[in-house]
Amino acid sequence: MIAPFFENGVFGETASLGVALAIGIAFGWFLERSGMGSARKLAGQFYLRDLTVFKVMFTAIITAMLGVFWLGWAGALDVDRIFVPETWILPQLAGGVIFGIGFAISGLCPGTSCVAAATGRIDGLAVVAGMFAGVLGTGLLFTRLQAFYFSTPRGVYTLPQLFNASQGAIVFGVVLIAFAGFRIAEMIERRFTRASIE
Amino acid sequence: MKTLSLRILAVVALSLAGLAAFAGSPRRRATASLDVAALAHDVQTEADHVTAVELARWIRDRKPALRVIDIRDSAEFDEYHIPRAERLPIEAVVKTSFQPGETIVLYSGGGAHAAQAWVLLKARGEKDVFFLRGGVAEWLDEVMNARIPANATGEAREEADSVAALSRYFGGVPRQVDSVVPIQSFKAMTARVRGRGC
Repeated sequence: MIAPFFENGVFGETASLGVALAIGIAFGWFLERSGMGSARKLAGQFYLRDLTVFKVMFTAIITAMLGVFWLGWAGALDVDRIFVPETWILPQLAGGVIFGIGFAISGLCPGTSCVAAATGRIDGLAVVAGMFAGVLGTGLLFTRLQAFYFSTPRGVYTLPQLFNASQGAIVFGVVLIAFAGFRIAEMIERRFTRASIE
Repeated sequence: MKTLSLRILAVVALSLAGLAAFAGSPRRRATASLDVAALAHDVQTEADHVTAVELARWIRDRKPALRVIDIRDSAEFDEYHIPRAERLPIEAVVKTSFQPGETIVLYSGGGAHAAQAWVLLKARGEKDVFFLRGGVAEWLDEVMNARIPANATGEAREEADSVAALSRYFGGVPRQVDSVVPIQSFKAMTARVRGRGC
């Protein structure tokens, strides 16, 4: 029985929707319990006071990365069947800038805005409404945006391809960067929290 | 206690990452297995390609999860491409992880490169993959400059009117001709395909 289970036909569409629902509930639960539903906490990272989001996200990345790598290495996971989003350099750069501006202004990102909305926070509801308005607007203007949307395509483009290195070497590099990042993040937090108290 | 658990987790993560650097890459299906009999059957039964008119109907009718992929170079794509097409070089196409349920239609200038890309994607296990046998040239001939027999009757008349409407939908100019004679001779066929790229 080799993962991904849905891709390899271990379970069907209904079961996969059930699994997706369970994962979604767990994701929302843990985001809320770790305080990620609070715009103040999330905005704290832009003022360098609270880098919890950075630490949580980077921890998730390296945990998943080590899991995927070693399961793939052991043959329990067919890494070729995992969906990897394609790269379109310019449109994704533009998307990142828009996303970042929205994140800094609202203090919420798509996942956390849903969590905030579910807990009844008005700002969360407003961000969710804005997000859907943006999706709808993009859909309506898609014919005009299409040329840009599909510009600078690179297909599936990953770090091992970019650096011409093995996946294991990239895993090692990213984990080292994460640990260095955690250390620097805590130094910054201490410094800026002290500065704000003074 | 909390600090100790964190340290243990950090040591485990770093050890796994350090070992990954020497482990190389997870097993990949770089040499995909190819069911040549199934492939030959698809070719024999013409299940390997779509005609330009079929593709035009899919695009007009907003066939769900349809991806029309132009594998020509960017200059040719910018000069003219089939509406809703995205450009992906052949090297990027074979590295792309398509989502389950997507219908992929490949086209090139003529048909050779698209047919080669079709074989590569089939070898990788993609199911709903087709190519446009005559490429952009077929699209221009059969859709944008469709020849409509003026004296057709019955079902042939309905089909002719449907193709004319389809052509106009894409901004084409269907031409009324006395009759559409299938190309019989090899000489006529080579004259028609001459000039088509690959």
